[in-house]
Amino acid sequence: MGAKVKTIERRGSTLTERIYLIEIFKGMARTLRHLVRNLRDNKKLLVRHYPEVQPEIPARWRGRHRLTKHDDGTVKCVACFMCQTNCPAECISITAKERLDDKAEKMPASFNINLLECIYCGYCVEACPLDAIRMDTGIFSVTDNNRQSFIIGLEELLTTPGAYSEEDYKKGGA
Amino acid sequence: MSLLDIFMIAIRVAFSAFVPLCFIAVCVWMERRGAGFFQDRSGPNRAAIFGFRAAGLVQNAADGIKLFFKEDLISDHIKHKFFFVLAPIIVFFCAVMSFAVVPFADTLVLGGNSYVMQGIPMDVGILWFLAIAGFSVYGIILAGWSSTNKYGILGGLRSAAQVISYEIPMGLSLVSLLIVYGTVNLSEMAQFQGQLLFGFIPMWGAVLQPLGLIIFVIAAFAECNRTPFDLAEGESEIVAGFHVEYSAMKFAVFFMGEYVAMFASSAIIITLFFGGYQIPFLNTQALIHLAKPVAFLLMIGLPVVMYYFAGWIRRSNVSHYERENDPRVFEANVYIKCFWGLIAIIELLLLAILLMQSGGAATHIFVALLQICTFLVKVTMMIFVYIWVRWTLPRFRYDQLQKLGWQMLLPLALLNIFITSAVVVALG
Ligand code: SF4
Ligand code: SF4
Repeated sequence: MGAKVKTIERRGSTLTERIYLIEIFKGMARTLRHLVRNLRDNKKLLVRHYPEVQPEIPARWRGRHRLTKHDDGTVKCVACFMCQTNCPAECISITAKERLDDKAEKMPASFNINLLECIYCGYCVEACPLDAIRMDTGIFSVTDNNRQSFIIGLEELLTTPGAYSEEDYKKGGA
Repeated sequence: MSLLDIFMIAIRVAFSAFVPLCFIAVCVWMERRGAGFFQDRSGPNRAAIFGFRAAGLVQNAADGIKLFFKEDLISDHIKHKFFFVLAPIIVFFCAVMSFAVVPFADTLVLGGNSYVMQGIPMDVGILWFLAIAGFSVYGIILAGWSSTNKYGILGGLRSAAQVISYEIPMGLSLVSLLIVYGTVNLSEMAQFQGQLLFGFIPMWGAVLQPLGLIIFVIAAFAECNRTPFDLAEGESEIVAGFHVEYSAMKFAVFFMGEYVAMFASSAIIITLFFGGYQIPFLNTQALIHLAKPVAFLLMIGLPVVMYYFAGWIRRSNVSHYERENDPRVFEANVYIKCFWGLIAIIELLLLAILLMQSGGAATHIFVALLQICTFLVKVTMMIFVYIWVRWTLPRFRYDQLQKLGWQMLLPLALLNIFITSAVVVALG
């Protein structure tokens, strides 16, 4: 199957086009129509009034991370370090400790993600064998005044809720 | 020299120095919000003082303050610090000075004396503009060279080559205009354009010299380094060209200089081709005779215009999302009240004109004010054309630019001179 070739017609060689001015006036008429339309009714501007009107974030969108929990509220993560190993930005740092509630052998003692280094690639989510880390919080704006507060720890990762229902998230192909 | 003389000199100099400066704010505002509306975005409209956004004008103040308080940085590799600082000053100074010879109202006759309404009452007129506007490119070249930066020097060189190639068609298109007007004095040119051709068409340069108008406008765009001829900046290939090393207030001076230059060259285009301060069909004599009917018409017309304008403000100045007690509605009401107040003041002044004896000093001043307003409205329209072109056309490639200058504009300008001279000689 050969590649589809589309021949684009070369423009700009007829006399009227070579005089420039006529085409320029046509272009100016077009932009003026936009201006007049927008001046008459500025609801037609193609803008979202951002901080007040928030964008709709789809479930597949990679936002800030969170760690998921079992139904009984205990942490799912088994501190296997898969995400840390896979992270291209090397911004995850985990320390493991022994787990005593028989769910697994290990659990994270600390789990830090440096959001300033994170490139939001989602590889950590893909690497996790237990679906313990997700990026489905829908948080897209991460701002603060000092660097320290961008390193989020276990506590914050566990308490941040997901923004979507389980079905919606699964529909995204996760 | 009487007190009146001194007062009039002060007024004139103040006008031609401060009006371009005030227009910087208007130009920048028109440029940014206009650009937004041309491209279906809204442009900067968030900056506010106590919730009053003034349609985005407050953003100018914010930007100005920001630039003013930024660190004034001269990097170490710049050897010629004096020239580096001098360059933006040259650009800005030349831009302001080039407006000085433009008449913004007809010669005002007060108490037996007549006052030429231009910043520097000189006879050299258009030659002054050519000289000063040509000089401002030195600022750009100097900036490029003293930046000790490849991009800077490339931008400066581009600008030099461009100005040289476009100065020639510009000068030549002026020659044919001078043949028609028979003077270099801008005041006399504007007076000439108060006449009527065949008794019903205003004898504007645009009517007499359509080809000259096109050539001059194109060359003026090039002279101002505006799109489509802003290769000196060319941010996609040479970052920002000549002002790549400039920051803070030095950059701001360049930036303001660009807008003042735009204002000045709009004023020149208006004076040369669109009748200057002349109101079409009403030259100064007619205006002085008809001062009262004109004032009366204005008294009726202004409130009508204001009524529709108020409606437009009310429709446009609302929040476009659900909001309780929308503060922008209150804002709109305040604006509308301010405008109505302004209209009321103007109405009172017009009423005073109506009651006063015609032909006196008040009438003369009224006519001068009308002409100043006409002039400023025309200039604003021309500036709008500049902005409109900028947000419509892409930038020329460098060889295209030179080709256009030398192979199209130059022969056209020469042709125009021949045709014009032939016609002028034939008509005797
Ligand atoms: S999204 Fe990518 S960069 Fe960020 S923590 Fe996960 S793997 Fe690392
Ligand atoms: S989040 Fe997943 S991949 Fe990372 S350590 Fe925990 S279980 Fe392993």
